[in-house]
Amino acid sequence: MIEVEGLVKRYGTHLAVAGVDLRARPGEVVALLGPNGAGKSTTIRAITGLLRPTAGRVRVCGHDVVRAPLAAKSKLGFVPDRPYLYPKLTARELLRFIGRLRGVQDGDRRADAWLEAFALAPVANELIETYSHGMRQKLTFAAALLAEPAVLVVDEPMVGLDPRAARQVRDLMRGHADRGHTVLLTTHAMDVAEALADRVVVLHRGRVAAEGAMAELRAAAGTGEEGLEAIFLRLTEEASEGPPPWGPAAADGSRRAGETAGRGG
Amino acid sequence: MRRPRSPARRAGLVALRARAFVHAVRRAPGRYLVGGALMGLVAWGMAVLVDRGVRWIDAYPLIGTIADAALRRSVEAFVTVLVLAVAFSVLTTAITTLYTAADLPLLLAWPLPAERVFRLKVFETYLASAALPALLTLPVLVGLGTARGAPWSYYPQAAVAVLALYALPVAAGSLLALLLMRLAPAGRVKEVATAASVVLAAGLVVGLRALRPEQLAELTPEEFEAFLAGFASLDLGVSPATWAGDAIWNGLSGVVSPALPLLALVAWASLALLGRVAAWAYQVGWVRSLDGSSRPRDPRPRPAAWWERPLARWGGGGAVVVKDLRLLMRDPTQWSQLLVLVALAGVYLVSTASLEVEGQRFRDALGTLNVAFLGFLLAGVGVRLAFPVVSLEGEGLWFLRTGPIGATAVLGAKFAYAMPPLLLLGLGLGFAQATLLDVSVNLASASIVAGGLAAIAVTGLGVGLGAAYPRYDATQAAEVPVSPGGLLYMTLALLYAAGLTLLLAYPAWTTLVDPAVPVWSTPAGLLTGALAVAWTTAFAGGALAFGRWRFVRYESGCD
Repeated sequence: MIEVEGLVKRYGTHLAVAGVDLRARPGEVVALLGPNGAGKSTTIRAITGLLRPTAGRVRVCGHDVVRAPLAAKSKLGFVPDRPYLYPKLTARELLRFIGRLRGVQDGDRRADAWLEAFALAPVANELIETYSHGMRQKLTFAAALLAEPAVLVVDEPMVGLDPRAARQVRDLMRGHADRGHTVLLTTHAMDVAEALADRVVVLHRGRVAAEGAMAELRAAAGTGEEGLEAIFLRLTEEASEGPPPWGPAAADGSRRAGETAGRGG
Repeated sequence: MRRPRSPARRAGLVALRARAFVHAVRRAPGRYLVGGALMGLVAWGMAVLVDRGVRWIDAYPLIGTIADAALRRSVEAFVTVLVLAVAFSVLTTAITTLYTAADLPLLLAWPLPAERVFRLKVFETYLASAALPALLTLPVLVGLGTARGAPWSYYPQAAVAVLALYALPVAAGSLLALLLMRLAPAGRVKEVATAASVVLAAGLVVGLRALRPEQLAELTPEEFEAFLAGFASLDLGVSPATWAGDAIWNGLSGVVSPALPLLALVAWASLALLGRVAAWAYQVGWVRSLDGSSRPRDPRPRPAAWWERPLARWGGGGAVVVKDLRLLMRDPTQWSQLLVLVALAGVYLVSTASLEVEGQRFRDALGTLNVAFLGFLLAGVGVRLAFPVVSLEGEGLWFLRTGPIGATAVLGAKFAYAMPPLLLLGLGLGFAQATLLDVSVNLASASIVAGGLAAIAVTGLGVGLGAAYPRYDATQAAEVPVSPGGLLYMTLALLYAAGLTLLLAYPAWTTLVDPAVPVWSTPAGLLTGALAVAWTTAFAGGALAFGRWRFVRYESGCD
């Protein structure tokens, strides 16, 4: 269970998150969407304890992330968007490190099971610096899931994954939620969010622009039976946006923003 | 239709870098202001010191006739040592700037000749490895000029000579690094270069110390004069250092030496050659780096090593220590720091062993002073071994920040990881100096205990202040202390060492008066011991508490 109440995060004079309320229940996959700079990563970082909120409260399984960080983090698995894994460790050593850090019983056996599941077993004794991006991403998922966390937070899960691994990760997240755990993910891949999420939260300019299941979002956006992409564009469209001054639209004088608005409407 | 110009072509690559620097200064003006002021102060101090020194030597009757030649040899020797230092440091710098720089793929994708890109990279290599030695040399030459009343034309000549001189080791070291790229195993170039550079630097330090300059103090005035005459007439042959010396000394008299344009020409040609070779080597090296290892893989599960198991019982803290030990063993930029430690310990022991002192009281007095030196030495080692340990988490910090491990356990693990080598060094050197100097029992025990306490204090100071002022973006351990936090660490570590020495004044004085009187079993001796422990706890504990407080509040990057 994730509970975010009135989350505010300010960096100097810049207000990154301006009072976000968010709830993700056990057994639920919640997708956090929003354009670049909407405050998704800041929200995720506050939930995982990487940032301290300026105001508001974040609880994971009832534990306040600021006041009881160890209890909250013991319930949490995290997959960052650009995961750094110690390049001079092997996959097996990294998972052993994570297992000890999280006090996982029978960590070696579980690690081997995840390495097999992600087809990393043949290279488990090789240094991570020799891995491809996709292999590192899979290893990050293995590290996050090693302790079977009650809450899984995933920032951009599909980056760098081949179709097979992407499908596997999708099934994993769904399966994790179906086992009664909570999954919160951010993504720019609308098809992934649409296929996987029970609920969608759209952030825009640091606030929740819309929240709910697909049907509720359609009603909020007034988009009929259109997909999540159209809903997203409608909810986050900005009339002030124009074509970049160096782009081809600027050269031939056409107005791309008008086209976009028309398509969204 | 006009071809669009890339940003680099429009603004110029160097201008682009200069703009980035201006932005960095605008973002943290205070940092650059303080750094600039400190550097200015050091430069001014050096210039004044050299000015006074040169005037004193010129006026000294015994060596007045050979003062000029002796000074010239001294300046040449000074720049030669710095030239060697540049040559060693440029090995790793060149790999980073000419081969693995993150912006190289972007720059090479622009419609620019590769050679132009690599000219910029050569310039960056020069700045990264030779700027500091040049900044150290220029005040020396300014001091020389003011002392000799040199004409204005001397100053630009001397600056050109020095800047050109340091270009030569940059070119030579970079070419050697590029050669290593061809010879070292694929993917291990940086490791090999780092190890080679540290071994060479450690060898140089030990080698210079092995010359035993203290022998000069044992010479009679006649022998010393003969030594100076020999030194003054020393001919280094046709070497760049001699050319630079010619250019500088002729400049003092307002004459432009033919050696100056020659030196500048050779420097320019060397750097131009380096740019061409680097452009070629990058392509070849990049292709080579794609070569996979042909070593057969062994996928069988491997159990934890025997040495991991006791640490694993400690939980999260033990896991961090095991992980750090594994990274230490596999990362040459980390384990090579231990070689520096060994070299320093060797120099210290050679220095102590070379002291020949008659009389127990003098030996005891010297032993007391050596306790202070031991504290300073440990402070210097701690800045390399203890201060960077938290920063070395680097981008991997997210594991600790999102994991169920508290700041106390993290700093405890880092302390446990950094302390053994420092404690071994402190106790070992404390024992060795007491034995080598043959001091009284009271001071021998004080020496060993002081070594141990100083090791604990500098570890606590290093880990604590390293956590309070981290540099998670540093690419290697040596970069981390180059910060206000590193300066604070050194100040406090030296203050600690001075305080510990003062505390030992009581047992030292008692021993000097009567070596047979017991010290440590008396109330005053016990109080001294308790104060030394309290002094150590205050520094180590205070720094760790401060570091913990800042570590908890540290926030990683934002959107």
